Amino acid sequence: MKTQLRVVAQTQLRLVALAVFVGLGATPASFAQGFKPTRPVEVVVHTGPGGGSDVLARAVAVMIEKENLLPVRLQVVNKTGGGGAVAAAYRAEKKGDQNTIGFFTGVWLTNPLMSAEAKVSLRDLTPIVRLLLEPAVIAVKADAPYKTLADFIDAAKKNPGQLKQSGGSVTSRDNVVRQLLQQNSGARWVYISFPGGGERIAALLGGHVNIMVIEPAEAGEHIRAGNLRVLAQVSEKRLSGFPNVPTLKEAGFDVPNVPQVRGVVAPPGIPRENVQYWEGVFRRLSQTASWKKYIADNQFEDGYQTSADLVKFYDEFTDRMRGIMKEAGIKVVR
Amino acid sequence: MQDGTRNAGNLWSGLALAALAIYIMVEALQWEYATAEGPGPGFFPLWYGIAMLALSAVLVVSELARRSAGGTSINWSPLGRALSTWLALAASVALFKPLGFFVSFALLTYFIVAVMYRRPLKIAALVAAASAAGFFLVFRLALGVSLPVGLLGF
Amino acid sequence: MEIITGLYDGLAIALQPANLFWCFAGVVLGTLVGIMPGLGPPATIAMLLPLTFAMSPASAMIMLAGIYYGAKYGGSTTSILLNVPGESASVVTCLDGYQMARKGRAGAALGIAAIASFVAGTVGVLGLMLVAPPLAKFALAFSSPEYFALMALGLAMVVLLAGSSMLKALLATLVGLWIAGVGTDLFSATSRFTFGRMELLSGIDFIVVAIGIFALGEVLANMETPQQAQMVPVPKGLRNLLPTLRDLKDCRFAFVNGSVIGFLVGVLPGAGSTIASFLSYGVEKAVSRRRDQFGTGVPEGVAAPEGANNSETGGALVPLLTLGIPGSGTTAILLAALVLWGFKPGPLFIPENPALFWGLVASMYIGNVMLLVLNLPLVPVFAQVLRLPAYVLFPLILGVSMIGVYSVSGSLFDLALLLGFGLLGYLMRKLDYPSAPLILGLVLGGAMERALRQSLMMSEGSLAIFAARPMPAVMLSLAVLILLVPLFGKFNAWRLRALEQKGG
Repeated sequence: MKTQLRVVAQTQLRLVALAVFVGLGATPASFAQGFKPTRPVEVVVHTGPGGGSDVLARAVAVMIEKENLLPVRLQVVNKTGGGGAVAAAYRAEKKGDQNTIGFFTGVWLTNPLMSAEAKVSLRDLTPIVRLLLEPAVIAVKADAPYKTLADFIDAAKKNPGQLKQSGGSVTSRDNVVRQLLQQNSGARWVYISFPGGGERIAALLGGHVNIMVIEPAEAGEHIRAGNLRVLAQVSEKRLSGFPNVPTLKEAGFDVPNVPQVRGVVAPPGIPRENVQYWEGVFRRLSQTASWKKYIADNQFEDGYQTSADLVKFYDEFTDRMRGIMKEAGIKVVR
Repeated sequence: MQDGTRNAGNLWSGLALAALAIYIMVEALQWEYATAEGPGPGFFPLWYGIAMLALSAVLVVSELARRSAGGTSINWSPLGRALSTWLALAASVALFKPLGFFVSFALLTYFIVAVMYRRPLKIAALVAAASAAGFFLVFRLALGVSLPVGLLGF
Repeated sequence: MEIITGLYDGLAIALQPANLFWCFAGVVLGTLVGIMPGLGPPATIAMLLPLTFAMSPASAMIMLAGIYYGAKYGGSTTSILLNVPGESASVVTCLDGYQMARKGRAGAALGIAAIASFVAGTVGVLGLMLVAPPLAKFALAFSSPEYFALMALGLAMVVLLAGSSMLKALLATLVGLWIAGVGTDLFSATSRFTFGRMELLSGIDFIVVAIGIFALGEVLANMETPQQAQMVPVPKGLRNLLPTLRDLKDCRFAFVNGSVIGFLVGVLPGAGSTIASFLSYGVEKAVSRRRDQFGTGVPEGVAAPEGANNSETGGALVPLLTLGIPGSGTTAILLAALVLWGFKPGPLFIPENPALFWGLVASMYIGNVMLLVLNLPLVPVFAQVLRLPAYVLFPLILGVSMIGVYSVSGSLFDLALLLGFGLLGYLMRKLDYPSAPLILGLVLGGAMERALRQSLMMSEGSLAIFAARPMPAVMLSLAVLILLVPLFGKFNAWRLRALEQKGG
């Protein structure tokens, strides 16, 4: 486990005293003694109210309260700006503060790679857990001539640069999927960025673009109403809501899965026992019925990983992103 | 508004805007003007930079042409009053870290009432204290808005 | 007619005592939130979400919606009295509203704002009720080329906002465009004009610029001559405490204008209430017989934008409820709320949840009436704020501005930006640069650039896309016409002078 441990002075003594307990094999199911939050814990998110991280954090706070997993409240604090850079930096500033955590998403991983100003990477913070993965589906308008993903790719090959995809910023997951598919198949199509999810769907429904990568929850209702058709899903295995839709691999495109990730971090300099405490809390959360219901309702995938695995995931992910960015012509800064 | 100030201002603001325009254009040229797929990040800034340069040049030239007809003088004292208020404001923001919001704000109010408005010092102190207290009650206690907290703890 | 039965059922729900209470709570809270600069409906709704789990979804929705449109009523109060925009959309109200206050007609301004908000808010709900599904289809046909043309039309209105010096107005607009460009480019992830500062990566917050230029700029300008004891004449007598019949008559068209433009712009996902209020103000100025007086305190200049930002709420609910597409920050969090309560907003939402929809619609009518009844009598009360001596009022404005900005982002950097824009606002005032064009450039700049690049990506680089589609073609031609009108005027004057010289 390679987190940079800069142990704060006052907890050093506690750690020494508790080494016995910890060493005596605190089973994963028990709290590491000595750390329990006593004041409301501040949870930093990088979106404004209503944004993805914010909604997740609030939902988690409600669930944790319901299931009595924490002796205190979780309080959501919005630190918007810089696509996550400000929230990350805010986290980094509070070195050693044991009373705050933050929810990170994929952008916290990619920002430092391409933005000179985004100086804080996940490695500079204390990773705690990875919570969930957000798969996606690839959708076209219901009256489009493409019945499978291969149809679309073939059409794109015949008309390079003429088909269009709507999505978020050029470093978002939507574009990563496109880059991977383009590299794999040799087809080329245009990617048009829209700042808001609403605008992206509107562009697709209005026929101004041909295809988009969309979250299953967003797409669900439009599929039910018969406006959209799903060609493939971006996930490891088929989602329960889409039993008849092939995954990318099943559709014949051997590209790595690109989930949107969300997880928890803490400021640097947090003692190991705190990490374990939080790992325990969140693992317990991921096993509760309300969490499972939340995942099912939103069509997420549970992606619980401990901090050790999270670090490995992070390294793999950023290496792959660097490669993709270079292909896409985005300047890689770190 | 003093005429002299405005005319001097025309010249200096025109020059400042021209300088800004040049900065914008220099930066814009470093970015991509156009990619295969559409205009790049340098496209828009370059064009409005050019427009800004052209218009500010017109401003400067017309001001210089007008100048040959008569002199201008700047009336400094109202300008000075406004600028010193601004400096006081900036100082109070700088003091947020050490002193916290309420104390800094009280000091600012005191300055404005006593120095700018030349009211008796007692009134200044009263207004300063009352306003700061009012903000404390409404924003901190009633609404729970977090404001900069200084070394004094509030 | 199903609309009648739907409304009847909805009224049955909305008139239940519990729901009436929640409606009232929502609109009062919304008004308060609107009055405070900085604190806005999205944050308030987010904070109240956990409470809503204990309520029925209908009651919760009624309350949250009340906060949403109530805030638009409150936002005009500080704009008119203190030149501090309570909400981004209230910026335009500052232009004429504050000037009316300076002339001693604060009460009339506040009253007109309340009445316009009521009329337009009700029209917005009517629109939501009557034309939601077909309008949703219209919204989908509206894409980047149409957005670009709309923004261009809006920007052309700078001509109408120019005042004495067209040159300075244009320069101010360009500076606004530049400020809008600060941040990370969406399409290429390049950082532009960020000076290496991470806080600038997502751009400069609009409210920081608006409060800086308007509120701080005004206070600093007043510091030049601190001899006056009172800032503005306090409205005396009933004539100045409430709008006169004359005022209401003058605002006839403004009420309609604000309602229609606000609602239509609200329906478009991505266009916000600030754009709606600017467009409405510009149109009102264009058709008004006393257009030269705009900016000095004419009631229509308050009625049009205030109406627009209220009916925009009705419009913004159209894509949310008919397609599940959020058009703005507040509707995004309303969407999240609906999802959290277990609903699935989308094309089938209204048919499957008629009770919720109609209950909401009925409660919005009631809410608008409540707000009118609440706000009108409070107008003379609010106007008394101006009784405070200037040396008390100005520091308060400074304090409220700083709190407002800090409460949004919690960053001292934003306060530093506020100071910078305050100085800029003062200098602009001193040197006769109009501030409305700068704000206009700031509001439209980002959206316009994005729309242009999206359009060109859609057409693979061909500008023909703007001519080929009907709406952009029409709007762009209008924009060009608007820009050329003053030139025609000047050309005519030049021609007449030339004729005189020849003759004489």
